[in-house]
Amino acid sequence: MIEVRNLTKIFNRGKFNETVAVSDISLKIKDKSIVALTGPSGCGKTTLLSMMSLILTPTSGEILYDGDNLLSGSDNFKTNFRRMNFGFIFQHINLLPQYTTIENILLPLYAFDADPKEYEERAYSWLKKLGIYDRATHLVEQLSGGEQQRAAFVRALIREPKYIFADEPTVFVDEETSRIIYRIFMELREAGKTIVLSTHDPELIKVADEVYRIKRGSLA
Amino acid sequence: MMKKHRNLLNYSFDCLRRYRMRTAVILITFLIATTMISAVLFTKDGLEREAELSVDSSPDLTIQYIKAGRAEPISTAYIDDIAKVEGVDRVLKRTWGYAGIGSNTYVVVGLDPTGLDYSRGVITSLESGRFLMPEDDGTGNVVVGKLIAGMLKVKVGDDMILLSESVDANKFHVVGVFSDESSIYTADMIVMCLSDANDFFKMPEGMVTDLCVYVEPDQIPNNVAAKMTSMPNVRILDQDLLLRGYRAAYGARGGIFTTLWTILLVAIALIAFSQAIVVGHESKFEVGLLKTFGFSTLDIIEVRLVESAVLGFFASSLGMIIGFVYAAYFNAPALVDILLGWAFLPKEFHLPVLVSATSVFSIYAVTVVPLLITTVVPAWLNAITDPELAMRRAAA
Ligand SMILES: Nc1ncnc2c1ncn2[C@@H]1O[C@H](COP(=O)(O)OP(=O)(O)O)[C@@H](O)[C@H]1O
Ligand SMILES: [Mg+2]
Repeated sequence: MIEVRNLTKIFNRGKFNETVAVSDISLKIKDKSIVALTGPSGCGKTTLLSMMSLILTPTSGEILYDGDNLLSGSDNFKTNFRRMNFGFIFQHINLLPQYTTIENILLPLYAFDADPKEYEERAYSWLKKLGIYDRATHLVEQLSGGEQQRAAFVRALIREPKYIFADEPTVFVDEETSRIIYRIFMELREAGKTIVLSTHDPELIKVADEVYRIKRGSLA
Repeated sequence: MMKKHRNLLNYSFDCLRRYRMRTAVILITFLIATTMISAVLFTKDGLEREAELSVDSSPDLTIQYIKAGRAEPISTAYIDDIAKVEGVDRVLKRTWGYAGIGSNTYVVVGLDPTGLDYSRGVITSLESGRFLMPEDDGTGNVVVGKLIAGMLKVKVGDDMILLSESVDANKFHVVGVFSDESSIYTADMIVMCLSDANDFFKMPEGMVTDLCVYVEPDQIPNNVAAKMTSMPNVRILDQDLLLRGYRAAYGARGGIFTTLWTILLVAIALIAFSQAIVVGHESKFEVGLLKTFGFSTLDIIEVRLVESAVLGFFASSLGMIIGFVYAAYFNAPALVDILLGWAFLPKEFHLPVLVSATSVFSIYAVTVVPLLITTVVPAWLNAITDPELAMRRAAA
């Protein structure tokens, strides 16, 4: 279970452009569920997601995974935790343009004490399943937005992480890809994964077990 | 842990391949810098070694006659007094000076025909012909340096004319040409027997330029020299003093080396620094992404360090090879002028290039080290910032 307690993020604190992006949010996310954060643009979804996934340090508050407050850990500890447990799907997809699809997918594995090649088979079966098998050795620049986001899913799932964080995963993709994404999320939940996502997409919200509405940095 | 380090290594090489422009810029600038540095250093080392070799082959002690603080011809009458000093094995006469051919100046050395075998060491290594023999005294037979042979286009068996101070034409006959192994110090040398040199320089009867003292094998030259200090009007030079003289001559050009080094160091540091900032900026996003995947700060620094080390070592090594070839096979055009004061070297002459471990090490030190340092700082700064921007920005 992920537990968020009184989480606050203030950007540029004390400066003229101080922004309170997230203000005193507390919530609990059950294992093996899909949780959606929704709300108008600029309400703080990405900021909250970043803090929960330990890639942004909160101004104050606590984040507990199965009862452990991870914010008290060192940077290295958090990095290790991310490596072992998290998968990321980004709004802007963020594949590295100079790499091929398969190279992008195997990239996270370079941080592990394992041969990335051992994961190739798994990667290809995912690519086949998502209908982009024939794009594996293309530079990602040559892929459409939807194809790119499908490749990004394979990258996030290659190590079968326990938690998946997805920031507006369907914004820049076509309808067909969106439908594939809904299906993957449901399958992952079946497989026991926990998914935290932010979205405006009503269809995606329908898939969620729980929906948090955020307004100007606070739960509505 | 081994597999992970191999992965990081592979990733470093990937980066070098993917950021071709950046790789090329560093490679080319470092290549030019190390080529210049190594050509200068290797040649300088070679010259220094030559100086030491030539000192080795010079007498244990050299005795000059001093008048008004300057060296003047010395009377051979001194020989008997010196030979009596305890520890002295042998005293030989030597007459030497400078002669001009065209606009060039050469060193003319006249050796004592009774002690030619004492001109030991590199001085006698020949490329063709033979060295002088006692019978050559008075015949005008000479052995010439490679530089002279090349410029006057003379070979063994040819005659050559030297003009003396009184503008008499003196005909000499070439019997030998020195080889490369004694290049610099015999390059512009014309070696002949004593009486030919005395005639050529019009030395007064019974006078020579200096006296060469060889001590007994179990004697220390300095101790023997100490016993001669009571002799009036002489200066005693030992090998140490000669070597110091050579070093001082280099010291005069040392300023050039220091300036060169400084310019290159500053240039390298600047290039490395600006590159590192560009790289740091460029890769900020990529590092953020890698950190979300679980690459640690150390992992990222490792990747960047390997990248820089590979690039730095490759560029410097290649630069040294080019610098060596430039100096050793092409006689370092443009460089010999600064180093030796010679406008050019004929093709048949080779610079005494020496690749010493110290030079190789210092070249690596001034190229690779600044590159590594300027790599670590931005990499570390990137690596310790929150990787949140992976969520914010699209990949470049
Ligand atoms: N690095 C930052 N510096 C300053 N302000 C920021 C930064 N990141 C986000 N913000 C601000 O925080 C607020 C919440 O942003 P965000 O979490 O991206 O919202 P959402 O994802 O819901 O659109 C916005 O007002 C945004 O401008
Ligand atoms: Mg957002």
